[in-house]
Amino acid sequence: MQTQATDTHDVAGSTKAAPKYALELVDISKAFRRQTLKGGYTTLKTSLLRWAFGGEGQAREVTRAVENVTVRIPQGASVGIIGRNGSGKSTLLKLISGIYKADAGRVQVHGKVAALIELGAGFHPDFSGRENLYLGGVIHGLTKAQIDQRFDEIVKFAELEHVIDDPVRTYSSGMFMRLGFSLAVHTDPDVLIVDEVLAVGDAAFVAKCKDRIADLRMQGKTLLLVTHDLDAVERWCDEAIWLHEGRIKDRGEPRRVIDQYRSFLERGEEAELFQSADKEESSVAQPATDTNEHKVEASRWGSREVEIAAVRLVDRDGAVRLLLHPEDRVSLEFDYVRHENLKDVVFGIGINRSDGVVVHGSNTDIERLTVPNLRQKGTVRFCIDRLGLLEGSYSIDVAVHRSDGYPYDYHKHVVSFVVRSPMKMVGVTLPPHRWEVDGVDLRSSKAS
Amino acid sequence: MFENLRHISRYRALISALVVRHLSIRYRGSVLGFLWSFLNPLCLMLVYTLVFRHYIRFNGVPNYTIFLFCGLLPWIWLSSALLEGTNAIVASGHLITKSMFPALILPLVAVLTTMVNFVLSLPLLFVFVWLAGLEFHLTMLLIPLAIILQCLFVFGVTLATSTLNVRFRDVQHLLANALTLLFFLCPVVYPVESVPERWRFTLDLNPLALFVRSYQQLILDGTIPNMETIGYLGLWALGMLALGNILYSRYHESFAEML
Repeated sequence: MQTQATDTHDVAGSTKAAPKYALELVDISKAFRRQTLKGGYTTLKTSLLRWAFGGEGQAREVTRAVENVTVRIPQGASVGIIGRNGSGKSTLLKLISGIYKADAGRVQVHGKVAALIELGAGFHPDFSGRENLYLGGVIHGLTKAQIDQRFDEIVKFAELEHVIDDPVRTYSSGMFMRLGFSLAVHTDPDVLIVDEVLAVGDAAFVAKCKDRIADLRMQGKTLLLVTHDLDAVERWCDEAIWLHEGRIKDRGEPRRVIDQYRSFLERGEEAELFQSADKEESSVAQPATDTNEHKVEASRWGSREVEIAAVRLVDRDGAVRLLLHPEDRVSLEFDYVRHENLKDVVFGIGINRSDGVVVHGSNTDIERLTVPNLRQKGTVRFCIDRLGLLEGSYSIDVAVHRSDGYPYDYHKHVVSFVVRSPMKMVGVTLPPHRWEVDGVDLRSSKAS
Repeated sequence: MFENLRHISRYRALISALVVRHLSIRYRGSVLGFLWSFLNPLCLMLVYTLVFRHYIRFNGVPNYTIFLFCGLLPWIWLSSALLEGTNAIVASGHLITKSMFPALILPLVAVLTTMVNFVLSLPLLFVFVWLAGLEFHLTMLLIPLAIILQCLFVFGVTLATSTLNVRFRDVQHLLANALTLLFFLCPVVYPVESVPERWRFTLDLNPLALFVRSYQQLILDGTIPNMETIGYLGLWALGMLALGNILYSRYHESFAEML
């Protein structure tokens, strides 16, 4: 087939004028027919029958996997592609490596691409590691002499010297992957495409792979990284591209794009929390009636002479939040309704981590505070200037009772919230702190 | 068309590696190993001899057993190449969806692998010819030409059918059924001469029959197929190559999605 001017796929690479870009994708789009995605195959029989009897021309739904994406990657650059599952990342990679053909747009690759999309694709289980390396090397475009030359190096890198003549079917999945990775990185690629392959394998080998990738970067190879490991993108990449529903949502300096992406993920997570909270809503703020007065609920009990009507976590602007960060200022707000005239009233709260650890529990009596005479209806606020909790899921208990413990209204797990943090510290709390070495504040030295 | 030809020459090393791999898959891990490729034609030969010579008492050909073997070998090559070639792209779907792989060479590998089997079984035929005390004709030297022509033809057909098979998965089943019927329309168990003149055209138009007949002529009769036949088969080969090439060029870019 002739190469159309608008549709070049120049994998072979030109030796003409040195191209500025290793990869050029201009305005590419790719859609899949739903039928294809479902894996339903047409048969000649059904097609003939439909044609002969004029069957309904079944409307074909399409899924737009990638839409109008333009990416130019300069030679030697490292670019990370991030995005949620199904955002089109893998489709984009397959378009670049030439496995898929774009519906529209132009894909140009200058140089040899090694796509670490599926390691060891093409290995035959009945063949030895040695035979598979030769065959796989040929598939990757190496000559036999080239494979001879680097055979030992490939095997040594994969740490498979002792089993290289055993059939590949006797390998563990980790060994299989090591052989595939080792072969792929030893094929002199100009552009290395890494699709989440580092998620498998033991820690030592992953570290080795990362070293090797760093090596290739130093040699001026172009790296395209697709991963959920945002730290890797931040560490390695010059640019991050955030794909969302097949389009580029944001791109640029990795730190900034990743922050945007993280807060987008958190908003999505918070929206889900709100949804599940809505479902439980009805059980939270139910006023006491004669019928359920004596009913003992596992999560709520008490005489209801004072009743807690609604509980919410709000931020400094008064907006209800379910996803928080360690440094956030929040208030736990709850409305009360007083049914009887009472003098002895204590308000209390508890914060529990999802594994049952009580993070904090307190009430006005413990803190030797006196609650003034209550109005008919009102609001209590437990104000936290800095949350100081590490990542995890938490739930809140709220109570109003007499100082001798007689419960008016006692709610357990009335609100659940989640804390997210970009820093993966260990433990429960994050006290305000700083590091000093020999009297030098490390934050100030980092800034300079 | 030339684009695809360039692909084939660029991937010579890959093609030969794959042919070797297919052959060794077939012969490895079985005790009888290499003998397997003889076993099938030998068994067929014995059964057909029993049925046609002894049950039906067909007496039209001298050395009927050798005649049978001479027709069976090219027929087995034809049918196995067509079947394996048609299935080749679908069977190696993982290569096409996971890497940039020239699907074009897969039916070619199937054709070449089955061809090697055919060539390796020819010595057995020659042993039979020698045991029966038959003459070794000089025309046997032309067998390679028949093989090349048949390769081109079968590659053309399987390039088309393997492409269609990605889209319509029943092509391989249809073909398998068609081959069962076509077997009896080829002069394998009966000689061309026993076909009445007014039905002869069914053989003369059928390229599969003409290929089978060519080997019988070159090996047993010591004659060369006439120029008309050669030209006709050449046209078939070119036509099928062109058809396969058109279909492949048109559809190969969607293989990765369809597999």
